[in-house]
Amino acid sequence: MPTSILGPYFRTIVTVSVIAAALVFSFTYARNGVYVEIQPLFEWMETTWFGYVGKTWGAAFATIQAGHLIGLAVLGGCVLVSDGRLLGVVLTDVPHRIVVDRADAVFRWALATLLVTGVFMACGVAMKIYYLPVYWYKMLGLACGILFHYYVRRPLVAHELGAINPIVLKMTAIASILVWFLVAATGRWIGFSG
Amino acid sequence: MSELIYNFAVWVDDTPWSAMLHESYYMYNWVESTHVLTLMISLGMLFLIDLRMLGWAFPDVPASKIADRLNIPMMVGFTVMFITGILLFYAVPVRSVQSVWFRIKMVLLVGCAINAYLFHKRMNESVSSWDNEAKAPQRIRNGAMLSLGFWTVVVICGRFIAYDWFDCDYPQSAFIEFVAGCVDGQTRF
Repeated sequence: MPTSILGPYFRTIVTVSVIAAALVFSFTYARNGVYVEIQPLFEWMETTWFGYVGKTWGAAFATIQAGHLIGLAVLGGCVLVSDGRLLGVVLTDVPHRIVVDRADAVFRWALATLLVTGVFMACGVAMKIYYLPVYWYKMLGLACGILFHYYVRRPLVAHELGAINPIVLKMTAIASILVWFLVAATGRWIGFSG
Repeated sequence: MSELIYNFAVWVDDTPWSAMLHESYYMYNWVESTHVLTLMISLGMLFLIDLRMLGWAFPDVPASKIADRLNIPMMVGFTVMFITGILLFYAVPVRSVQSVWFRIKMVLLVGCAINAYLFHKRMNESVSSWDNEAKAPQRIRNGAMLSLGFWTVVVICGRFIAYDWFDCDYPQSAFIEFVAGCVDGQTRF
């Protein structure tokens, strides 16, 4: 029976294609039209209640930043534990499946915290970050991280882990750690820019 | 006491490496970034241990396993944070010792250490009787909640250090001047 040329890797190939297209879009002149179009959105963000609070009360902004850091710490912990298990360096005496699934449950909450606090922070300094290249690198990294996590890593580890090529599993774990580290590092770099 | 601390900070500030680290844009930022990003290892592991005790994470993994196995990466993370924290202090000593937030953070870190000691002591004494239960006993859960609370405030204080609301070179109330340890006639900020 004829099978699809993409075979079982259809979703992975589509996701990688989307990420590649996003990268090409971001690093060529193709983005210029969209960049100008979305400027009013960032101007509007500063006028929202979040933007008003973020700009008016430094303490509120800093407290939300701290919440963002705590979300980052928990997300990082989940990634390191889950991917560390796939690499065979953490919790090696607990089955893969339990570690990966339980870490994923906490990961979801940590990601939600990061997104909510991140939107609040973005509203407070919307026009500043609009002009910061490193902010866009972070958003690109974040989009890649979320796509990679939900459309590559998660479907892959949903299979019986013993049946997956160990090299593929380890490469996925390393890619996951690197992409989230990139998101965190570019986020930190926003603080040093502008 | 405040004068003694201030003089010590001025002495540290006068060492050539302190000025070099402070003035080096890339080196200072590398140290600060490492301090912040290591949160993912140190606090990431610590929060997972605390959440396990509260029954909110890894409820079907024995508590002792989570605590034992995540302890090593957590300690590696805290060691890096401690070293980079010392370097950050070394780069900006005078302002740091007179920051209200830095002082609160240091007191809370002592609180965290005492809580961690008591938490591990109580856990080691009783873990065999509840190791496989989703939630730890109440007093262990109290320790985990305290740990989460203390570290959350430590992170908030760490973030607040960057702001100059209560710096000694601005007019402050007598209370803030006392808590921050502002010294009469000080020449450096």
